[in-house]
Amino acid sequence: MGKWKRSQAYADYIGFILTLNEGVKGKKLTFEYKVSEAIEKLVALLNTLDRWIDETPPVDQPSRFGNKAYRTWYGKLDEEAENLVATVVPTHLAAAVPEVAVYLKESVGNSTRIDYGTGHEAAFAAFLCCLCKIGVLRVDDQIAIVFKVFNRYLEVMRKLQKTYRMEPAGSQGVWGLDDFQFLPFIWGSSQLIDHPYLEPRHFVDEKAVNENHKDYMFLECILFITEMKTGPFAEHSNQLWNISAVPSWSKVNQGLIRMYKAECLEKFPVIQHFKFGSLLPIHPVTSC
Amino acid sequence: KFFKDLFIGVPWWLSQLSVAFYFLFLQRLCDYVCDLLLEESNVQPVSTPVTVCGDIHGQFYDLCELFRTGGQVPDTNYIFMGDFVDRGYYSLETFTYLLALKAKWPDRITLLRGNHESRQITQVYGFYDECQTKYGNANAWRYCTKVFDILLLYFQLCYPFRAFCDLVWSDPEDVDTWAISPRGAGWLFGAKVTNEFVHINNLKLICRAHQLVHEGYKFMFDEKLVTVWSAPNYCYRCGNIASIMVFKDVNTREPKLFRAVPDSERVIPPRTTTPYFL
Repeated sequence: MGKWKRSQAYADYIGFILTLNEGVKGKKLTFEYKVSEAIEKLVALLNTLDRWIDETPPVDQPSRFGNKAYRTWYGKLDEEAENLVATVVPTHLAAAVPEVAVYLKESVGNSTRIDYGTGHEAAFAAFLCCLCKIGVLRVDDQIAIVFKVFNRYLEVMRKLQKTYRMEPAGSQGVWGLDDFQFLPFIWGSSQLIDHPYLEPRHFVDEKAVNENHKDYMFLECILFITEMKTGPFAEHSNQLWNISAVPSWSKVNQGLIRMYKAECLEKFPVIQHFKFGSLLPIHPVTSC
Repeated sequence: KFFKDLFIGVPWWLSQLSVAFYFLFLQRLCDYVCDLLLEESNVQPVSTPVTVCGDIHGQFYDLCELFRTGGQVPDTNYIFMGDFVDRGYYSLETFTYLLALKAKWPDRITLLRGNHESRQITQVYGFYDECQTKYGNANAWRYCTKVFDILLLYFQLCYPFRAFCDLVWSDPEDVDTWAISPRGAGWLFGAKVTNEFVHINNLKLICRAHQLVHEGYKFMFDEKLVTVWSAPNYCYRCGNIASIMVFKDVNTREPKLFRAVPDSERVIPPRTTTPYFL
């Protein structure tokens, strides 16, 4: 873990998360931003994954928990990942395709266990980070990366979770933030910084969530949780319940970043699966 | 119930004294059970009738429902296959309740070790955080993890067999023989190796837990192996049933199913502020 914390990969990954965090501060999802060709292509890639879910309905077979049709869906991605990535990466950068495709495959869950967790989500962030590193995505794309691409990714992941009844992977249960996601809470809380009237205490209010979830990722996450979980919110999402008492979104945002570092990035069960390569290398940070 | 609730209107010194007594009793209970467990052999024979239970993961109210379903100790003889702690609110209450049952009726309850009965794992998945949140220190966690070290790995229903290891992490799967586990620990093992193992050791059935099962229990490999899962509506989202496997004798088994207790029968812990947000 020490090696990981001192690595170039860690520095690049956390730098990426924090840069995007700054970029979306105080902005609604409907904010006007530039949409480059690369962004459009990534959205098209995610749309393809979505279409494959429609083409691979759940099967009526005995299973332990998750639906086995997920493995069929995953099989398509496994086979097509490099082709899909090649549609996004210009030909002169084709050498990067195999490495980048690995992160894409890691970002949708595990085929054997039919599960999904924050480690898979981190793999998608790593996928985007790699695309930035090779210059496919640029500084201008910052807002679109979160509001268009990552948001679309979340929609596809939620559809997978529901359609195939995916299991939480390595959930911390009531001691964790959420069974499946973390980053949309970080970036989502940044969106809400300095909001004129929405405070953290409002996110446990059904009316406030229903009225504002289309503009704010954090609230969309809360809506999804209340849809999928049973019982009082204070019970099934106790950490989030605690967070609703924090006085400002700014404090929520800072706290979530600290929590992400400690609970996801510095926990062996999550990081043991992280892939290192030439774009996110394990070697120590090299000084500029 | 959290001790804090009991202390409203109570002088500070009395509440501190009560907590000190709690730690003293907990430490004594853990030491007492450690001594009991040290007397047991590594391969502990257990007589039927017995009810075998899977993961609990701190779901204390559902554990109570388990006992209502299967019968209270000592009327019913039990084997718990581990994973008492982590993920749920009440890992401490769950584990200490089982320890108390073990202390009172040592020959009517067998406690095995799951992959979550470990210092490293409990520092990731919640038991450590629970102890800190409830008592402001790690004393309770330390006493309990001492017991984890001594918990048995397995039991056997009155037939001799050879020792084996690494089963706290492995899973059965439709693979040829063995395969790397996607968990990053343990292995995947298939029908062939299971058949071989069962045959060589003259067993009737391997009972294990460790994996969520929607219907509460699942037989595999021509009924040579069964997964028993005892945490209903896991993570408040999975909507699964829980089960316990009742063995009248070695040849007669019957699963008993139960659901999560309704919300009206649960207590929600009070709001706290995690250190990250101070």
